[in-house]
Order: sequence, then C-alpha cells, then structure tokens
Amino acid sequence: MNTHKKHGFWHRYFFSLDHKDIGFQYMLTIFFMVSIGGFFAYVFRMHLAFPDMKVPLFGLVTNKDYNMLITNHGLIMMMWLALGMLLAVAGNFLIPIMIGTDDMAFPKLNKISYWIFLLSVILMIASFFMPKGGLGVGWTLYPPLSVGDFGYNTPYKSFADRFFTANTFVLLAIAFEFTSLLMGGINFFVTTLNKRAKGMSLLKMPMVVWMINIANLLFMFSVGPLVAGTFMLLLDINVGTGFYDAYRGGDPLLWEHLFWFFGHPEVYVILLPPLGILAEIISVNSRKPLFGYKFILTLTLIAAVLSTMVWAHHQFVAGIDPRAATVFSIFTIIISLPFAGIILAYIATLWKGDLRFTLPMKWALGAVALFTLLGGFTGLHLGASVFDIYAHDTSFVVAHFHYTLFPTVIFGSFAAIYFWFSKFSGRKLNQTLGNLHFWLTFIFFNGFAFPLFLLGLAGQHRRIADYRQFEFLMQDPLPLYRKIATISAVILILSQFIFLFNFIWSLKRGKKETEDNPWQANTLEWQTSSPPPHGNFKVYPVVNYGPYEYNRPDKDKDFTPQNEI
Amino acid sequence: MKIFPENASSYGGEVDFIFWLITGVVAVASVIVIFLLLYPVLTRRRKLTKTQRYQKGEGFRNLRLIYLGILLLAIADFFFLYKEGPTWTKIEETLPDKEFHVAIIGRQWLWEIVYPGPDGKLYTADDVKKINQFYMPVNSVVHMDIQSYDVIHSVFIPNARFKQDALPGRNITRWVKMTKTGTFPLSCAEICGIGHANMKATIIVQNKEDFKKTLTKLYKK
Repeated sequence: MNTHKKHGFWHRYFFSLDHKDIGFQYMLTIFFMVSIGGFFAYVFRMHLAFPDMKVPLFGLVTNKDYNMLITNHGLIMMMWLALGMLLAVAGNFLIPIMIGTDDMAFPKLNKISYWIFLLSVILMIASFFMPKGGLGVGWTLYPPLSVGDFGYNTPYKSFADRFFTANTFVLLAIAFEFTSLLMGGINFFVTTLNKRAKGMSLLKMPMVVWMINIANLLFMFSVGPLVAGTFMLLLDINVGTGFYDAYRGGDPLLWEHLFWFFGHPEVYVILLPPLGILAEIISVNSRKPLFGYKFILTLTLIAAVLSTMVWAHHQFVAGIDPRAATVFSIFTIIISLPFAGIILAYIATLWKGDLRFTLPMKWALGAVALFTLLGGFTGLHLGASVFDIYAHDTSFVVAHFHYTLFPTVIFGSFAAIYFWFSKFSGRKLNQTLGNLHFWLTFIFFNGFAFPLFLLGLAGQHRRIADYRQFEFLMQDPLPLYRKIATISAVILILSQFIFLFNFIWSLKRGKKETEDNPWQANTLEWQTSSPPPHGNFKVYPVVNYGPYEYNRPDKDKDFTPQNEI
Repeated sequence: MKIFPENASSYGGEVDFIFWLITGVVAVASVIVIFLLLYPVLTRRRKLTKTQRYQKGEGFRNLRLIYLGILLLAIADFFFLYKEGPTWTKIEETLPDKEFHVAIIGRQWLWEIVYPGPDGKLYTADDVKKINQFYMPVNSVVHMDIQSYDVIHSVFIPNARFKQDALPGRNITRWVKMTKTGTFPLSCAEICGIGHANMKATIIVQNKEDFKKTLTKLYKK
C-alpha cells in the first residue's frame, strides 16, 4: 500500500508525518520533561527530610528555591507528563493503528501540534532562567500572588520587566500546550469518526480508543474557560488590568473557579486513557472478554458529565458560599459510583480468567489496587466537606492525589510501554530488568506516599520549606515519616533509571520480536508486522469481531482477531 | 501513637468523627476489594471451559453483583453526607452569638490580630493590634473576621480543626470555641510567597479572668 523508503534522523525526528514517529517524538520530549520534574522532586524531598543538608547536585535550598521547585514539579507533572503522555502519546500511537487505518486524518496538523508542544516545552524551560528566577507560586497559580509584584516583593518598572518573568512564560507555555492538545484532540476525534476500518462499528472499537476520545471531548469542553482565564491573568501581569485584583473590581476567586473548572475535569482527562489501557491489558491477560463493555462505556460517559460539576471541592474553604459547597460535596461523593462500577467490571474480568502474569499485567493489577484502595477511597474523605476543612492543603491531599495520579499516569504508562513496546520497536524489553523495575517502583512508591497520609493527619500543611518552624510538626515520629518518604522517593526515582536503560538498550539491542502477535491479542495493531510499516497495514483490515472475543466457544484457539473471517 | 493533634475546640471532635466513620466503612470496603482482587489472582482457575470463560457481562442479570456493589457504596456515600451535613452547617453556615470578636488579617508574612478597644466594638479608632499573638477566652464563641491585605492566605488552626482562606477584598466571618486553655499554633496553609513557611501565629487560650487582664494590658500600651 505504501512505498515509503527509510528516512534519516532529521526526517524521522523532526519532519515525519507518520503518527508513530510523531508519537515517539512526543514520548522523548515528555521523558525529558519528566526527568526535570523528577529531579525537582528529589531536591525538595531531600530538603524536607534533611533541611540543613546541601542537596547533592543542587546545593542549599532556600525558601525561594523551594517554592520554585514545588511549583514547577507540579506544573511539569500535571501539564506535560500526564496530559501529554496520555492524550498525545497514547492517542498518536494507538488510535490509527487500533482502528485499522494508515494514519491520522490530518497528518500535517498532527505534525504542527507536536511543534507547538515543543514550543511550549521551550517556553516552560526558559521560564526557569528569567532574571527574577523561576515561578514560585504553587502550580495552581493563584492570583494575586501569581500576578508578580507579590511573588517577588519587588516593584516592576517597565513592560519588558513584566514580560520577561517566569509568570508570563509559564502562562504562555500552558496556553501553547493547550493549543497543541486541542489540535491533536480534534485530529484524534476526526480520525476516530471517519477513518475506522470497514466493519468497525463504534461499539467494536477497543476501549482505549473510546476512553482517549471521551477524555479529549472532556478536555475540549473544559479547557476554554481556563484559556480565557490564562489570557486575563497574562493581561493582569503585563498590561496592568485588574481582573483578579480585588481592589480594582476584580476577584481572586474568579481565577480559582476558572482554573478548577478545567482542573477537575482534567483529572478525569488524565484518568480515562489509563483506564482504557488497563481494560486492554486486563482483558488480554485474563483471556476473557472485557466484562460489561457497554456498561463501562455508559458509566464513563456519566462520570464525564458529572466531572464537570465537582470543581469547587477544591475550594470548600476558599471563600465560596458554604451552601454551594454542600452541592459540590454531594456531586463529588456521587462521582465515586461510576468509577466503582468500572473498577468492579475490571475485577469481574479477572474472575474465572486464565490469568497470565506478564509484566504489563503486573503494572495493571498494581494500578487497579493502589488507585482503588488508597487513591479512590481517600477521595471520599476529602469529598466529605467537613473533613476537608481540616485536610485541605495538608499532606493528606498530597498523598491522595499522588495515589490517584501515580498509579494511573505512571503505572498506566508503564503498563502500556511494556505491552506495546515490541509492536512499535520490533524488539523485546528485558523481562528481568522489567520485573526489578516494577517491584522497586511498587514498593517505594508506597513507601513515599503512604507516610504523607499520616503527616497530613498530624496537621502538616503543604508547601512549607522548613517544618522546624512548627514545633508540633517536629514531634516524634513525624520527622521519621518525612525521612522514610524522602528515602523512598529517592529510590523510586533511581529505579526509573533501570527502565531508562532497559528502554534505550532494548530499542537498539533488544531481542528481536519474532511474532506479530506475541500476546495472542485480538485488536488490529497485533495483526500487522512488528514494527508496522509506514501506513501500518499491508492490506486494510476488515473487521468482523468485537475487540475482546477471547475464548469464544465456537473457535478452536482462545482468541479471535478482529479481522478474522 | 497519636493520629491527630490534640483537639481543643467545640466542633473538632465532630470533624474527627467523620474521619473515623469514613475510614471504618472504607476499611471494610477495602477488605472486600482486596479479596475480590486476590481471589482470581491466587486461584487462577485453569480448568474452566470456554463457555464458562466467555462472559461478556451484558444485561442486568449478569451485572447484578456490580450493581449491588454500586448500591452499597451509594448507601455508604449518602450515609456520610447525612452524617456530615449538620456539622458543616454548624461550622460554616451558622454563627452562634459572639462573646468576643476579633479581626485576623493576613499579610506577607505575618498575621495581624485586631482586638476591639475599650468600647468593645471592632473597627473603631481605639482598636488594638497585635502581631502573631491571638489571645482568646476559653469556652467562649469567638468570631473571626478573616481578611487579607495582599495575597491569598489561609488561617489554619490544627487543634481546632479549623481552616479558612483569607482573601484580599473580602471579609469572611467564621467562629471558633476553644475548650482548653494553653497555647496552640496557627499557620498559613495557602502558599503566599517566599515567607510562607515562616508565617505563623500563636493562639493563647486563657481562662476568662486572665483574658480580661490581658485585654487591660493591651489597652494600656
């Protein structure tokens, strides 16, 4: 079907229009961003546990450094890792090949959206090197602190003085990144609707394709207010308008509403693609159809609608009307129900399954367990507005969102990488290193995040550079918890080097993947060669079966590829 | 081992109760989820037939156990809401009659506590201001006018289980009633710049006679 020849380095990494290459470009860019975010986490965790120590590779951490590190850690991990990895990378790699087509509907738009993403990364990195230093106002960028004068406590003189600040650059970076993801999202959406293989009805699409598209819709719906809010904040900083200035008719709460109106759906934008990835992996490795395909889909749509009505649970004590908080508390608690249904459906898929404990399955089971038991259930604590009065802005919240985001974003991404690596590279990842990587990550993630629950319950508030200021936070055993969390976090970060080595080494020297379909999976990406050619398929597949027809009684083997006749 | 700091306010116990209630129910739910996850993982039913495995989960009958799970969680959820509602109303939506009234104003990076002067009224010329020292009488309802001069701060009193953001341009009145004498920390829970970590005040809860003496001392200065 295609006659593309092999391209050189520049072509492959800068000008390629192939969705797989663009996905790979996104992935490498995001690896780069994550290594910065992870390094920041290492520095401030070390500082929290050992406040007087000169942190190796960084030096002494001042309060200003500390604020800058936590802010940029949050921004990078939320905006560039989570959103980028799960929308851009997963969408690019998976959507065209799983729906059985050659490429995106608009390959050039796809290319441009990557370039804009790259621009946003450059702006973000540039913000660290502004004359007054990196941004140190918390990743939620609440004005008036983020408007500038208050963040640094020095008056501004000229427009250039205002423009060349971290505040401006970070906001521009965010705006560009959202532009990029919007363009990517439109592309995914059109591709999914118009380019599906013959015979693939909407209900024969793999769950991950559904989930990425629902996440994209949710993103498109919620991002508008934040982009408008970002623009107003840019004007406040650079032109001196007063949208968020209470003394000039504005209101700082306006930003909080606009931010969280996006910020909470964003959590579900991040959550849905990994849920889709888990659906694929759990079904393949249980050798059973995904239990309740339509049921999961319905619940996901319900959850997506509900997720737009819960944002103010971030603001229970932020100065909103307490009666409004009751409404948001009810919606927040109710949103646990669809997710409980989805998780139970995944567990039902496991029951009576012929389980295979492959590496991706380990990551998937780990993700389901941690996300449900410690991420989801503590959401009930925080959704109950009364306990949130106490727990808001404490380490309890930090532990909660690390337990929701880490299992989904990181475990989900690793599950996907270990699952699809051989398909896209044609080589296998080393299994021993993979197992080591999984167990170290699993154990030390818990070692890092669980003590934060206890610290939060003891009243440790967030974003404090030096807890020695507070006598009640230095009583035993709280410093010990801080040290356990830090040491675990450091080992957690170090063990990612095992993965990095495995990834790079296997890409070049790994064992060749001899089979096209090593997992005996049904979906279309496994029915072409590994790696797939530019254009993905030698012959366009025609779909006859649903994506999860494992152990069909009328077939001899235990799987039925979607394009089997 | 203590989980929470010592409770010293009239409503702190109710906040802790909500935590333990949810934790208790969640603990039971966790045991069920752990069982549901571990059972198939540990047993790995290898000998089932294809028909037994080929379960697509369509229709109410096949999904009934999942619906039951959702229903149980829904009951638990609404039970939490039912239990916490009155406490929320008490802490946040109502103001009991005040016995003392102060303004607590955040600024980078300290707390100004404004006490009413000898006339007993706040916001008059004879008000007295103290930095980072918050005196209050024990067992009395104290109204706090929470405000901010510059950026968003947040009044956090761990021992009272109380927290409220202080916003520039807004006056938010909340109340607290401390039931124990002694000194308690008050910290800022919303990032407010470089000095955020140093922003703290001390709450000194005194019995009513000592408190009157403290007030007279404040007026003399």
